[in-house]
Amino acid sequence: MAGAAVLDLTGLGATFPRGRMATFADPDEDLVRRVGQGDPAAIQAMVARKLPRMLALAQRMLGDPVEAEDVAQEAMVRAWRQAPRWVSGKARFDTWLHRVALNLCYDRLRRRREVPTDIMPDRRDDGPAPDRGLHAADIGFAVNDALARLPDRQREAIVLCHYQELSNIEAAGLMEISVEALESLLSRGRRALRLALAGHRPGAEGV
Amino acid sequence: MTAERFLALVAAYGADRRRWPEGERAAADAFAATRADISAPALAEADAVDALLHRSPAPQVSAALRDRVLTAAASAGGRAGRAGRMWIDRLSLAFGAGWAVATCAGVVAGVMLTSHVTADAQADAVLYQSSLLGVDDTEVLG
Repeated sequence: MAGAAVLDLTGLGATFPRGRMATFADPDEDLVRRVGQGDPAAIQAMVARKLPRMLALAQRMLGDPVEAEDVAQEAMVRAWRQAPRWVSGKARFDTWLHRVALNLCYDRLRRRREVPTDIMPDRRDDGPAPDRGLHAADIGFAVNDALARLPDRQREAIVLCHYQELSNIEAAGLMEISVEALESLLSRGRRALRLALAGHRPGAEGV
Repeated sequence: MTAERFLALVAAYGADRRRWPEGERAAADAFAATRADISAPALAEADAVDALLHRSPAPQVSAALRDRVLTAAASAGGRAGRAGRMWIDRLSLAFGAGWAVATCAGVVAGVMLTSHVTADAQADAVLYQSSLLGVDDTEVLG
């Protein structure tokens, strides 16, 4: 890729021994430049590349499909505004877009806490029901439900590392925590999911 | 790599070595190969959690959402001065609705820009191209 930037992504370079510094080449650099120039094919390619990622991020963070669509749309709107003035080399565009979407998600999560409401996103009863047929969709719903019940930061860590497939350094940078703290959140989150989904694991009754 | 670190790694990142930190992957691989008594149970446990996580269905982008986002691109361009007007011009040509944009230039014109049929066909083409290994979608269409 022409002109790929290789820089310290996190600003933590001074805290890491040489060789462990976070470096990156932005795979979106050329696409963002073309979007900024108003290239219609690039705009549509950006939609194909980023909209599903933003929707998945928001859906798993919020557990509400309507809110997730709103967040994904708003994140993309901000991407359109940012593209013409994007300065390559400062950060990966994908990381920046994740930051935008996460902030939008946290705004909504905060609002939920501040305005108690009886109207919550649909959640399935995940009480023990070994006689219930464990259809594949049931397991998917159960996983989503278990994710939704995790503390926000544990869920965020798992969503960023597992589903969004960001590196540990990218995820820690987005969450503004150390890699060690990220690993702690991941471990606790995975442990909680394992316990919550014990009945859905291969070998469990009904599976 | 110590056993403690290996177990912490697997507990955090799971059993798929591709998710392990790049800098520790080789050492973790070596540990797993030489200390199967420790690594195998931990990997099996983590693999079961990974498998469950993979069952979470990814939401599908609806055509309506995709259209709204494409429309917003034109609208954002319209608010971005000269560069924005260039966006509108180019998008209008691409979407085959130049007459609408010419009429509505300077207004929030996004609604007028998107010919749903054309946009859907183009977006589908992009999605198809992006699914092809080794093909740069923007190069193909751009």
